[in-house]
Amino acid sequence: MTHSTWNSSGSIYLWWSRMAAMTSKELLQLARDTLLVLAVLYLFTLDIMMAGGVKMDLSKATVVVHDADHSPASRELIYRFQQPYFQLGGEILDQKEGIRLLDQGKALMVLDIPPRFQHDLIQGRPTEVQVRIDTSNTVLGTLAASYSGQIIGQYGFDAALQRMGLTAEGLAAVPMFVDRHRVWYNPNQKDSWFMSISELLTVITVLAMMLPAAAAVREKERGTIEQLLVSPLTPVQILLPKVVAMTLVILLGTALSLTLVIKGIFHAPMKGSLPLFFAVTAMYTFTMSGLGLFVSTMSRNLAQAAMMIIMIMMPIILLSGAWTPPEAMPVGIRQAMYISPLYYYIEVSYDILLKGAGIGILWDSLLGLSLLGSLVFGFGVWRFRRQFRS
Amino acid sequence: MKPTRIKALAYKEWREILRDRLFLSLAFIVPVSMMLIFGYGIKLDVENIPFAVLDQDRTAMSRDYLHLFMDSRYFDYKGHVQSERELEPLLADSKIRFAIIVPPNFQENLKAGRPVAVQSLIDGTFPFRTSTSKGYVIAINNAFNGKLLAGFISRKMGVPPGQAAALVEPVKVQLRYLYNQEIKSLWSIAPTMMMFILLMTPPFLTALGVVREKENGSIYNIYSSTVTRAEFLVGKLLPYLGISIINVIILWLMAVLVFAAPFKGDPLFFFLASVIYVSCTTGIGLLVSLFARTQVAAMMITVVVTIVPAVLYSGLLVPIASMDAASQFEAHLFPAMYYTDIALGSFLKGIGMGQLWGRVGALLFYSSVLWIAAYLLFHKRVRT
Repeated sequence: MTHSTWNSSGSIYLWWSRMAAMTSKELLQLARDTLLVLAVLYLFTLDIMMAGGVKMDLSKATVVVHDADHSPASRELIYRFQQPYFQLGGEILDQKEGIRLLDQGKALMVLDIPPRFQHDLIQGRPTEVQVRIDTSNTVLGTLAASYSGQIIGQYGFDAALQRMGLTAEGLAAVPMFVDRHRVWYNPNQKDSWFMSISELLTVITVLAMMLPAAAAVREKERGTIEQLLVSPLTPVQILLPKVVAMTLVILLGTALSLTLVIKGIFHAPMKGSLPLFFAVTAMYTFTMSGLGLFVSTMSRNLAQAAMMIIMIMMPIILLSGAWTPPEAMPVGIRQAMYISPLYYYIEVSYDILLKGAGIGILWDSLLGLSLLGSLVFGFGVWRFRRQFRS
Repeated sequence: MKPTRIKALAYKEWREILRDRLFLSLAFIVPVSMMLIFGYGIKLDVENIPFAVLDQDRTAMSRDYLHLFMDSRYFDYKGHVQSERELEPLLADSKIRFAIIVPPNFQENLKAGRPVAVQSLIDGTFPFRTSTSKGYVIAINNAFNGKLLAGFISRKMGVPPGQAAALVEPVKVQLRYLYNQEIKSLWSIAPTMMMFILLMTPPFLTALGVVREKENGSIYNIYSSTVTRAEFLVGKLLPYLGISIINVIILWLMAVLVFAAPFKGDPLFFFLASVIYVSCTTGIGLLVSLFARTQVAAMMITVVVTIVPAVLYSGLLVPIASMDAASQFEAHLFPAMYYTDIALGSFLKGIGMGQLWGRVGALLFYSSVLWIAAYLLFHKRVRT
């Protein structure tokens, strides 16, 4: 072995041992802040459990009825507004009371059945029921409109068949098609699968930006960065251990919440390859910590850093595609979504965890994420190194 | 409580904020930019759902049927495939969210009066989108079925097609949307965003402002001074409260002027309710700052107690009425829900104190509990 190779392998050893020492320093520092550790643990377990309990569908929306007919036909229609979507909130005597209940938020919908409703039905004359819906919450309003339209339409259809003397068996001779829709990947449409995974991805995003940024700004604010700068460490050796340590913490937390909460409590299927998911998560964490480092170079204290992180993070989270479908977005925003790392990460994560997709199918999203990741992380590192040149 | 001391403390804090130019500008830029991004960015309407078609029949009738989907603004036609096997990777890669399979002999069977099954595959990953798409599919299918049945009746019973159509659909629905007639999601989002932004930014400003003094050690100056606990808390927080109150006005102006949301309620009532709400959220930050010793911990705890509930339990994305009992209970523990009702009520419904006094009372109670707890937990003597 020549002298020079010994020397280079020695310096490689030294480089790694410094990295290891700095990484363990970061982990120790984190572990000693009990409140911070508790907050991180809470985010990965209880918080995801709580999110999984949130339902997105219309559930037991209160319907009050103004029935001007009081006939068997009107009663049959009223009793079709049943759980899980609706529940009956009683009968009202006049329109004004309905408006009052809607104003107070005590009812979501008022169903108004006209006089002579049954009479008209039997005579085969078209009749009209009125539905008033509180749409101040757009999601609830749209769902209530859609479901009540379905219920009333089905009722009318049944009434028409009955009048023409056709029964369900008789329908076999009628040219109609049967709608057989199947929902894939989440056949029972369990909100808990979607909500818990989406919350996990949000938590990862928050931590991946905040922890490394905070670790970097703190050294500046307390002045301990001066000690590090006079040590034989290069800027990369100061910065990389922070990112590596926080990535380790995040991967550990992710494993915890996948096994304990998402699989353990909500029984979401882990269809795809978990190593692939963790590799993607590590890549994503690096990307977001690059953004965090960038913020840390711009700010002198944590208060500044926190405000800037919120400003960058909230649009990333809300415009990630999990809440707002990219297809429905205006063009400008849709294009902005394509440069959001979380957009790719969410697609890939759901595709791996729920759909069981592999690299063969996901390569384009993965390519997008890794390109974006190396760009952002490289930029963060460049900014971080540059601030020491002054 | 001496007003002069409070004034001095507030002035000191205000100077400190003023000298940190970046922080000062962020305190106003963050709310405004969030309002802009979300106001234009959040669109909860489900439209342009990408879908593909497998037409095994290829007749005039199957094309008529499929055109109902292609022409709908809710769906975005991505193309035909040749076999069912091609659909799976498209769905797995999220290239399409929905697929229709028309069976062979679709037209022949229907003309012969035999029932036919049409299959549709819907991606269930995002439940809200799934149930909305399902609703659209059912509606389109029902419309097509109604037409088929009307045609059948008019042929069999010899009634004119128009009358047959009326026979098939005897009950018409007249839908009336109250408060937000065109279901503009922007109208409901602008007031809700006020709740969201005012829940997030004040606690961060406050918590970090107080913990910074702890971490720097400059709080020892306060400990050793004659300033009392109450004077310190009030004086320290007044500037932050002031910033948030200015933000209330800016955000309200943006909601009304930029997003053209109608404001039907009483401005004075809404302003006072907003001040109470902001004092609540400032109180959250204050309480956090008393527990945390480092700014990092303060930041994470603030995330835990504000961002997460703001997204989940405020009614912003998930309507509270449709939550299960446990989540509803949790939602009632956070002030956001009450303020959402106040904001939507004041903007869209035009109701005031008469209907909303319960919500205002809840906020007032919440805020006094927070401030009293902060007062009791803050000690000038360091405990070891």
